[in-house]
Amino acid sequence: MTPGLLLALAAGGLLAGLIFGPGRPRVWLALTLTGNAAALGAALLVLFHGADWTWRGGWPVAGELPWLRLDGISAWFLALLGVGGGAGAVYAQEYWADAHHPDSAPRSRRWWNAMGLSMGLVLLSSNGLHFLIAWELFAVSSYFLVTLDRERKEVRAAGWLYLAASHAGTLCLFGFFALLAVRTGSWELGPLHDHADLAPLFWLALFGFGVKAGLFPLHLWLPSAHANAPSHVSALMSGVAIKMGIYGIVRFSGWLPVPAAAGWVVISLGAVSALVGITFALAQNDLKRLLAYCSVENVGIIMVGLGGALLGARHGEAPWGRLLLAGALLHIWNHGLFKSLLFYSAGSVLHATGTREISRLGGLWRAMPWTAALFALGAAAVSGLPPLNGFVSEWLVYLGLLDAAAGHGRPAWAAMPAAIMLAMAGALALAGFLKAGALVFLGAPRTPAATHAHEGGRLLRGPMLALAGACVAAGLAPLLLWPAVARAVAAWHPAWTAGPAPAALTTLSLAQVVLAVLFLAAGVALWRRVRACGLRRAPTWDCGFAAPTARMQYTGGSFAGITTGWFSWLLLPERLLRRPRGPFPAQAGRSEYLPETVLERIVVPAGEAVMRASTAARRLQHGRLQFYIVYLAGGLIVLALLVWLEGMP
Amino acid sequence: MILEILLRLVLWLLLAPLLPGIINKVKAWVAGRRGPPVLQLYYDLARLWRKSAVLSTLASPAFVAGPAVAWVALAGAALLMPLGPAGGAVSFRGDVLLLVYLFAVARFCTAWAALETGSAFEGMGAAREVSYAVLAEVALITAVLSLSVQTGSVTLVTMLAPATGAGAVLLAGGLFAVLLAENCRVPFDDPNTHLELTMIHEVMVLDHSGPPFAVILHGASLKLMLFAVLLSQAVLPVAELTPAAATIVLAGAVLAVTVGVGLVESLLARFAFRRVPLLLTTAFLLCLFALLLAWKGGAA
Repeated sequence: MTPGLLLALAAGGLLAGLIFGPGRPRVWLALTLTGNAAALGAALLVLFHGADWTWRGGWPVAGELPWLRLDGISAWFLALLGVGGGAGAVYAQEYWADAHHPDSAPRSRRWWNAMGLSMGLVLLSSNGLHFLIAWELFAVSSYFLVTLDRERKEVRAAGWLYLAASHAGTLCLFGFFALLAVRTGSWELGPLHDHADLAPLFWLALFGFGVKAGLFPLHLWLPSAHANAPSHVSALMSGVAIKMGIYGIVRFSGWLPVPAAAGWVVISLGAVSALVGITFALAQNDLKRLLAYCSVENVGIIMVGLGGALLGARHGEAPWGRLLLAGALLHIWNHGLFKSLLFYSAGSVLHATGTREISRLGGLWRAMPWTAALFALGAAAVSGLPPLNGFVSEWLVYLGLLDAAAGHGRPAWAAMPAAIMLAMAGALALAGFLKAGALVFLGAPRTPAATHAHEGGRLLRGPMLALAGACVAAGLAPLLLWPAVARAVAAWHPAWTAGPAPAALTTLSLAQVVLAVLFLAAGVALWRRVRACGLRRAPTWDCGFAAPTARMQYTGGSFAGITTGWFSWLLLPERLLRRPRGPFPAQAGRSEYLPETVLERIVVPAGEAVMRASTAARRLQHGRLQFYIVYLAGGLIVLALLVWLEGMP
Repeated sequence: MILEILLRLVLWLLLAPLLPGIINKVKAWVAGRRGPPVLQLYYDLARLWRKSAVLSTLASPAFVAGPAVAWVALAGAALLMPLGPAGGAVSFRGDVLLLVYLFAVARFCTAWAALETGSAFEGMGAAREVSYAVLAEVALITAVLSLSVQTGSVTLVTMLAPATGAGAVLLAGGLFAVLLAENCRVPFDDPNTHLELTMIHEVMVLDHSGPPFAVILHGASLKLMLFAVLLSQAVLPVAELTPAAATIVLAGAVLAVTVGVGLVESLLARFAFRRVPLLLTTAFLLCLFALLLAWKGGAA
C-alpha cells in the first residue's frame, strides 16, 4: 500500500459516505470509518516509513494545476484527523441518532464527511488558491455541523459568531495567499527561505490562522461554538478543527522566512493564552464551556512550544528548539485525544441528564461508572499528570524552556516567564478539572435529572474507551511515537534532522510504566486491606452534620471562588445578591453571571460604536437635492483651496 | 540497583513519620508541656492500619484508591530526590519536572478522594488546597528555574549545587514558605484541628478512617520530609561533602527545618485566609529574586 492509494481510498470512502450515507446510517458508518482509517494509515505510513508523497494533477482546477503533498507536518495533522473523524463517527451514531433527530441526523452525516474531506484537502493542498478553497469549504461545513440543532436560538447565535469570526480570519488569509502569489509569481506553495521579503506576511498568517486556532484574544467564537454544538461535533472542533489553525501557523512558519520578532510574539501569545484560557475555564459553570476554554489553554501550550522553536531556530539553538517543537507537536496529538475523550464524556452526561450545568449534576458515578472513570482519566491527562500522555508533551515543553533558561542566552528572557506562566496554568488546570470531574460525578445528585441518569450505550462508550486507551498508551510508550515526531520536526526545520530519542525520554517512559503499575497495584492493595479489616458504610460524617440535603454540597462557583476572586479584574463577573431581610425573610438569592470578557466588553461595544457612528453619518443622506448640491459645492471649494494652497510658494 | 532503590525507599518510609513527631515535641516544649512521644505517629499508623474503616455511602472505590495513588506518587518522588553525594536512585534530565508533577498527582488524588464524600466541608478544603497550590507551584517552579539557571543543569542531582550569599538566603526563605503551604502548616493551615471552617488539609481527610487514613498520614509526613530535604540541599552544598559528613549535615539540616516549622507553629498564629495569597506571593517574589541573582551570577 502506498500513501497515494490509501489517500484515494480515504477520499473515496468519505465521498461515497457523503453521497450515499445521509439516508443509511450503517452504510455511512462503514464508509466513513474506512475513509478515516485509510487517512490515518496514509499519515502513519509517511510518518513512520516512506518518503513524502506528492501528486500533481494533469488538468487545472479553478485555473491552477492541483498539487497535493503529504509530508511530515501534514501527515502529523492528518493522523489526528483520521482518529478524530473515525471516533466521532461511531459516537455520533448513538449520540445523534435518527430516532431522536430525524431531521438533523442525515445532515450531520453529510456535513461530517464534507468537513473531513475539506480538512484533508487543507492539509494536502500545496497550492495557495486550492488551500483557500478548501479552507472556505472547511469553515462552511463546520458551520453547518455546529448549527445542527438550529431550532435553538443560542445555537444559531453561536453559529453566526463562528461564521463571522472565521471569515475575519479568512480575509487575512486571502491577503496572505494573494500577496504570497504576487511576490513569488505563483500560487504554488513550498519552502521559500531565500525570499527574505516574505517575512512580514507571517503576521497576516498568524492572525488568520490564530482565529481558527482559538488563540487568545482571537478565541471569541470558540466557547459558544464548542458549547452549543452537539458533543460529537464539539469533540471534532476542539480535537481536530482548531488544530487546522495551528497547522497553518506551523506550516508557514516552517516554509517561509519569519520576522525577527515572530518567536517572541508567538511564545508570549501562547503563554497568555494558556493562563487566560484556563482562568476562564475554571470560572465556567457549563461543563462544555469549561472544556472549550481549556482548549484555549492547550492551544497556548502548543504555541509556547512553537514560539520557543522559532526562537531556537533564530538563535541557532537546535537542542532545545527541537525539544520544544517536539513537545508542541506531541501536545497537538495528545490534546486531540484527551479533549475528544472529555467532550464525549460531557456529551454522555448531557445525553443522560439533559443539562450541562455543573451545579445541577453530581453523584453520576453510580449511574454512569464508565463515563465517570473515563472522564477522570481524561481530566488527569489534561492536567498533565504522569503517567498519562499530557505529561509527556508538557514535560518536553518544560524541558525545552528550562534548557533555554539555563543556556543564558537572550531567549531565556522569553523562556523563564513562559515557564512560570505555564506552571500557573498547569496548577489552575488541575483545579479546573478537579472541579469539573468531582462536582459532576462525585457526591450526591443535586437534581432529579442527575438522580435518573443512565449509562450510555456501547457506541458511546466504545470511542471513549479507544481514546482513553490511546491516552494511556501514548503516555506509557512515547518512544514508539518518537520516529514520527522526529520526522515532523525535520519537516519543519530541515537542519534539525531526525536523531534518536533523548535518553531522558527513555528513562521517563520506563518511570511512567512503573508508576502506572504501582498506582494500580497500590489502589487494589489498599482496597483489599480495607475489605480485610472490615468496612462499614455510613452517611458522610461532615463534623456531625450528617446527610444534609444534596443542595448543601459545594457548588462549582464556590469551588472556583478563591481563584476567580484573584482574577475578577479579568473575568468581570456580574453578581446579584438579594440578602434575606426582616424577621420573616421571604426570598433571598445570589446569582452570578460571567460575561465573555473579550466579546462582551470589547468587541460588541466596538461594533456598537461603529453602528452608532454609521447611523449618525446616515443623516447626511436624506434625499433632498438642494443639500446634495451644497455638499458638492463645498467639496469643490475645499478641493480648490487645496490646489490653491499647494500652488503657493 | 534494585536493592539500592529498595533500601532508599525503606529509609524514606521509615524515617518520614519522625518529622511530625519532632514538630509536636518542639511545640510542646515551647508551650511548657510534656507533649506526645516523638514516635506517636508510628503508633497511630500501626493502630489505624489494623482498624476497620467507615466509608461514606456516597463514596466510590476511588475514595480508597485516591490515597493509595497519592502515596505511591510521593514515594516515587522520594526516589527521585537525590541524597547528597549518593545522588538519586532514579535520575535523568528533567527529573525535577517529574518531581513537581508527582506532587500534583498527590494533590489531585487527595482532593478527588475528599470530594467523594459530597460534604461541603471537604469541598472547602479541596478548593483551598488546589487554589493555594497554584501560587505554591509558581514559587516552586521559579525556585527550580533559579537552580537551573545557577547550574546550567535540569537534572536534580547536578542542579542542587547551591548558590552562596544572598541567593541562598532568598531561596531558603521562598522554599520554606512553600514547604509550610504545601504541607499545610501554620501560618497557612493549622494541623491541630479540623473542626474550624478555616482548615485545608485536615478538613479534606475528615471522612477518612482506618487504613486509607493511615496511608494519607504517612504520605503527608513523606511530603514534609521531601520538602525538608529539598530545601536543605538547595541551600547547603551537601553533594560536595564526604558521605559521612553529608549524612550528618543533611540530617542536621532536616532536623533544623523541622524544628523551625515547630517554632513557627508555636510563635505564629494562623493567618486570615485573605492574607494567604499575599504570603505565597511573597514566597514567589523571594524565589524570583533568587532567580535574578542566579542570572546575574551565572552571566558574570
